[in-house]
Amino acid sequence: MDQEIYRLPRERLDALIERLGRDYRVVGPVKHGATWAWTDVRPGMPLALDYPTSMLPPRQFFAPPRETLFRYRRGADGRFAFEEPAPERPVALVGVHGCDLTALRVLRAFHESSCRDRLVPGRLDRSFVIGLACWSPCLPESFCRDMGSLENESPASLYLWDIGTVLLVRVQSPRGREVLRDATALEAATPEELVALRQRLRARPEAFPARLQFPPERLATSLKAAESDILWEATADRCLSCGRCNLVCPTCTCFDVADRATLDGADGTRTRSWTGCQVPGFSRVAGGHDFRPTRAQQLRYRIFRKGKYMPERYGIVGCTGCGRCATHCPTRISIRDIFVQVGKAP
Amino acid sequence: MPQVSMIPRPCRIVTVTPHNSRDVHFVVEAPEGFAPEPGQFVMVSLPGIGEAPFSLAALPGEGTGEGAFEMLIRRIGRLTNLITRLKAGDELYVRGPYGRRVAWDQFEDANLVLLAGGLGLAPLRSFVRRALGRRDRFGRIDLLVGARSPDELLFRTDLLVWASRQDDVHVHLTVDAAREGWDGRIGVITSLLDGLALDSARTVAFLCGPPVMYRHCLRRLLGMGLYEHNIWLTLERRMKCGLGLCGNCQMDGHYLCCEGPLVNWREVRHLREVV
Repeated sequence: MDQEIYRLPRERLDALIERLGRDYRVVGPVKHGATWAWTDVRPGMPLALDYPTSMLPPRQFFAPPRETLFRYRRGADGRFAFEEPAPERPVALVGVHGCDLTALRVLRAFHESSCRDRLVPGRLDRSFVIGLACWSPCLPESFCRDMGSLENESPASLYLWDIGTVLLVRVQSPRGREVLRDATALEAATPEELVALRQRLRARPEAFPARLQFPPERLATSLKAAESDILWEATADRCLSCGRCNLVCPTCTCFDVADRATLDGADGTRTRSWTGCQVPGFSRVAGGHDFRPTRAQQLRYRIFRKGKYMPERYGIVGCTGCGRCATHCPTRISIRDIFVQVGKAP
Repeated sequence: MPQVSMIPRPCRIVTVTPHNSRDVHFVVEAPEGFAPEPGQFVMVSLPGIGEAPFSLAALPGEGTGEGAFEMLIRRIGRLTNLITRLKAGDELYVRGPYGRRVAWDQFEDANLVLLAGGLGLAPLRSFVRRALGRRDRFGRIDLLVGARSPDELLFRTDLLVWASRQDDVHVHLTVDAAREGWDGRIGVITSLLDGLALDSARTVAFLCGPPVMYRHCLRRLLGMGLYEHNIWLTLERRMKCGLGLCGNCQMDGHYLCCEGPLVNWREVRHLREVV
């Protein structure tokens, strides 16, 4: 692990951001009032590397909340012509926590398995990611350690540890080395610094008490035993169907498609925008029939999707333990508590 | 997986035939290279209005022109309100075909029984046409059609033609309710199975209809001794992409737009969200 770990003095962060800015749209965590959000950053802006996660996850840069699939325009002959938007500037994310790195792996697995999207896989390929180690849980609802994402350090070209006196950075790809070399003098971490890092890493688990009594791989089997709607009704009774859990989830991928026309109808766009399985109407077809009409069925579906269907289908658990959904739920429905409950079931 | 654009292609409408006050039958010029299998579907849109999935009532060269396909579209929302007002010569915007390609050679030598409830006859019509196009390769064919009322019986011309070809296909009709003048059967679609002696080991069933229909038909067919792997369902779900991406069509972990809409009962019977 000591290979290719360099010092990155805090004042050199700006140089790194400047270097990335040549090739990428650079985003990082920035404090806005009482919250932190992924924001376009430039040298000189205060990057909040101590941020306790963001409300909206990094997937916003790979599958934006709303994006144009194509533009259409009606020609003089009455026929429509279509045009897809040009690829945008690739994104560089500075300071991605283990949970959100895991979520990028989930997105990758999803796109490699079943779907045929033209936009997201290319954005993942072209992006530059700098991971960042956590020393304490971001949120009271976080259970990243239980889900195995606390220790996850990829996919990232560079990986950062803030050990107080200095930032340490590990090169994890040739592209990462190239960028870092341009921004700093590639000064190796001192033995004292490496010892400090090792001590911190050894002590870290104490800050993340275990919440689940079983490994995440067992979720699929545990959920299998929790098929009955009755188990879900009590919790779903609190659900307001607002869909926030879907919006803040780093691994949700579902979208709606709608046309946005100008007033004369001659041109416009077909756009897709985030939606989710907890939003009323998500499973409703023309004519009004809803194939998943009750909140208990919808809640059950969301939990099964993350804990069972995604691992079965994509080989990776769909929950990273980031804690966002429970934190932002107006009635505090907690996926962690649900996992704990189903784990107890015989 | 190959990446697929969501840009549709313009397709000219050849004929427009209303079947009743809300169901309209379209013959449409097929886009280049359009070669669907029975059970697949297309996404049809009008720019500025929206897009929706539609089943295929006839495939190119199978009872319709080589370069055409057919759809039955029910006026039920904003998009279909506008589509059903279009005329021959107007254009629809189409992408696809999407969905699972089920190989038909596996059904050769089998007896086929098709159960169509209401609009479910639209996709199953392409199944009948596929079978009639290679009639010598299949055994007995029974088509069971249920409608709410005689007025809502769709594809009457086809039904009449098929009914006159008893050697090729046996057509059985029933309606839920009828006024005077209907001398046919009244009752639910499963009642049509009563008088039918199916060679259970040799029979393949295809079902398409309103959600309520599947459970009842499945119970009856299994009770008659059909094998689970010989029962196929054509299902409906909300779909926004057709590419296994938007998620609206999921049943349990399955994306119906890719693993369906034609599904095999033995493969999906363990899922909770099928029927």
